[in-house]
Amino acid sequence: MKREATADAIGTHERASATPVHTDHHAPSRHGVTPNWVPRELNLAAQQAWFEAIVTTPESEPAPADEAGLLRLVTPSKELTALERLDVYRRGYYARLVECLVDDYPVLQHALGEEAFEELSHAYIAEHPSKSPSLNYFGRHMADFCRTQPLPSPGFAADLAAIEWAIVLSIHAPTAPTLTSEELATVPGERWPSVCLKANPSLCILHQEYPANAYLQAFRNDADPSVPEAKRTSVAVYRTQMRVWRLELTPPMVTLFEALKSGATLAESLNRVAPELEGTPEAEAVQMVMHWFRTGVSSGLFSGLYFA
Amino acid sequence: MKNRFGLPNLGIGLGLRTVHYSHIVEQKPAVDWFEIISDNYLHTAGRPLDFLDLIAERYPIVMHGVSLSIGSTDPLDRDYLRELRALRDRVRAHWVSDHLCWTGVSSKNTHDLLPMPYTEEALAHVVARVRAVQDFLGAPLALENPSTYVEFAGDSMREWEFLGRLAEEADCALLLDVNNVYVSARNHGFDALRYLDALPFDRVVQMHVAGHTDHGTHIVDSHIGPVIDPVWKLLGNAHARAPGIPILLEWDAEIPSFEETHHEALRAREFIGATP
Repeated sequence: MKREATADAIGTHERASATPVHTDHHAPSRHGVTPNWVPRELNLAAQQAWFEAIVTTPESEPAPADEAGLLRLVTPSKELTALERLDVYRRGYYARLVECLVDDYPVLQHALGEEAFEELSHAYIAEHPSKSPSLNYFGRHMADFCRTQPLPSPGFAADLAAIEWAIVLSIHAPTAPTLTSEELATVPGERWPSVCLKANPSLCILHQEYPANAYLQAFRNDADPSVPEAKRTSVAVYRTQMRVWRLELTPPMVTLFEALKSGATLAESLNRVAPELEGTPEAEAVQMVMHWFRTGVSSGLFSGLYFA
Repeated sequence: MKNRFGLPNLGIGLGLRTVHYSHIVEQKPAVDWFEIISDNYLHTAGRPLDFLDLIAERYPIVMHGVSLSIGSTDPLDRDYLRELRALRDRVRAHWVSDHLCWTGVSSKNTHDLLPMPYTEEALAHVVARVRAVQDFLGAPLALENPSTYVEFAGDSMREWEFLGRLAEEADCALLLDVNNVYVSARNHGFDALRYLDALPFDRVVQMHVAGHTDHGTHIVDSHIGPVIDPVWKLLGNAHARAPGIPILLEWDAEIPSFEETHHEALRAREFIGATP
């Protein structure tokens, strides 16, 4: 049961009015045929739809522009052909959104390697173009997307993406106060069974097939971890004030915290966890549950209490 | 010269960037003002707003957006405008700006500042939309001249003429990005001073400077690195035409320490007042 802080810069990508610097390693873009508009068809709406189609067409596919036809619509400069000028935008579109995904998924990028991650990102961008003024949630489909892709270990990639996305979500979730042990101490003994805890609004409990959290932490510790073998794990991701945390959970802890998170009273929550403690002496079971409960509270999983 | 909107001279500011959050909150450096990228604080209820609230308590804030898409033929996004207005009120922003561009159609957002054709049709379209946005915000909108990499064969006017007419006909403010003038002048082969000569400087409420990346065949407005002297000199030239207009440095990639970034912004003092 380890509570690990996550680097503050994660998931805080900038969206600036800058154009990404394009590297020169790109293969030549493929081009198709420029529309042969008659003058009355060439209105602003048609021109923008055409321009957007060029910009968003992957460079490996033919965009609706060719040099000869393009000269009717775009002028060349002294240094660049009309097609080369359009390609500045075409490359910028993918470069900007790949940067955004790198910012949200730095550990996934490390696990896959830069080239494979860029390829994955291009496929993602084509499948899930942004339809929002904000890039804050652009990467939200990545975990599911990984499962559909021909990756070496799609399940592991998906689990890693899920943790990184939970970190992003925790950053954007409302900030709430943290429930303190002093507040808990005010609860009269006879009311304990009916006490309910308010979950930290950023709390997300993930159930995973791979120990992706351990991999992520090894990466944070500057190690170069290998892709792990499958092993079921659960991890809580949440934020207290400005800091994001990850807390690995055992199965009974998951049952307890998920029950409390759902609004169940403490008594109901203990009933739910009881079957998982069968065979454990009662006094020991009580000690264990109280320890988990205190861990959850002191770690910041909860933001307040109320009575059912 | 005082701008016609009566907006204040905030001094020399910096674009607020996440890598500097902690330094600003903990060290409380003496900075005249900050410009935020509005869109980074929309669709969030969490940490970005927490930091912004702390910073807005202490420093004047101006909002600079990248997703208004004022030139798009898609309908104006009223939800976006509502969020923009709410954010402005929350941080008591002195003004709101965006770019003369479009970012997408058919509900897509490329998150790029795509170029407008400079035609009468486009001008009428943008004028109407700027007026609608200003009505919604109840305040003048400042539009920034973009950096562009293409020109359209069907253009009937140059960018400076389009921008000047837009400002007059929509009665809006201008954010003059002198780096963008420099970038576009190189990319399209026009004289940057001719561009400045044509602008209505009484409508300029803010100026931007930034670094860029020279690829030899063209320049990309990357906001990387220090500002080169020709851009500083262009700022000096522009500022002499509108003294008292606030200046802001944008640095968006490979961002150095706060002190170094701020030091670069303050270099503006060396060039303000320079004559052509």
